[in-house]
Amino acid sequence: MINDEYFLAALRLAAGSDPIPGHVSAAARDLFRLRVPSAVTAVPAECAATRGVRGAEGPQMVRFVAAGLTFDLEVTVGDGLIDVAGQVCPAPVDGTLVEVRTPHLTLSRRLAHGGHFAVTGLPPGWLSVVCHRPGHAPIQTRWVRIRP
Amino acid sequence: MHDTRDPAELLAAAAGGDQQAWDQLVFRFGPRMWAVARSCGLGDSDAADVVQGAWLRLLEHLHAIREPAAVGAWLATTTRREALQLLRKPPHSPAAEPPAAPDPASAVLEADGNRLLWQTVSTLHEPCRTLLRLVATDLGSRQMAQRLGVPIGSVGPTRARCLEKLRTLISLQETVQ
Repeated sequence: MINDEYFLAALRLAAGSDPIPGHVSAAARDLFRLRVPSAVTAVPAECAATRGVRGAEGPQMVRFVAAGLTFDLEVTVGDGLIDVAGQVCPAPVDGTLVEVRTPHLTLSRRLAHGGHFAVTGLPPGWLSVVCHRPGHAPIQTRWVRIRP
Repeated sequence: MHDTRDPAELLAAAAGGDQQAWDQLVFRFGPRMWAVARSCGLGDSDAADVVQGAWLRLLEHLHAIREPAAVGAWLATTTRREALQLLRKPPHSPAAEPPAAPDPASAVLEADGNRLLWQTVSTLHEPCRTLLRLVATDLGSRQMAQRLGVPIGSVGPTRARCLEKLRTLISLQETVQ
């Protein structure tokens, strides 16, 4: 079975009438700096608060799990920007650093007591959180798309 | 941008931190990813978002692609999945699951596949021959109907019939080969 999208894409490619914009290619090249060598990827996991109980307008809960660590992120979109309040469980040791990353901006936070952290004013789009614990491989959440 | 390394070599080099190898992957496979995103019906902004998402998936899976030689097909498949996810999901949604293996159908995007495709399109009768060429130029349904001299309501069904004919012919040729 051949999917129509691939067929249509092949026709479009051959026609050459809609080439990839230069800024899209440039953005793709630039993403390489976001590579985290040796990182373990935390994958999405279901939790009670992620089942859509808050409705489309309220904060969105997203949970990621890997290597015994759970990331709970509460993402709020307001005025076209993203705020993230999160918690890493169990609370990691002193010196743990969390990076909240987008393709355009990375904000770093030392984890507070209880593993809490918060960042505000991120641009909408793709987002990931990386946890750097002393003596451990970094753990990076899968990238998620956040839109207004 | 000349680099003779094959896709598997580029992937391995990128996984080892080689920015040039990554740039070459972008150069080789970015255009087809863009075409896939646009073929799913996305506008410029959403298509750019989806292509960026597919590259981020590759960044996550640099060491975990099962068929490194088919990384181009994996990227096309990932782009389509992200596009379909964006089209059907609300604004806040978990990411699409990256594919374990590429869709076999994405092989039509390979260079030889493109040539075969256009050769086959040129053998079709009208209105399919013209319609598929117009589809490739991103003409809207109204303009396409005017160019073909058919009612606007018949463009969609005619397009589906023409793609089905094309699919059958390509399958037959692949069987013969």
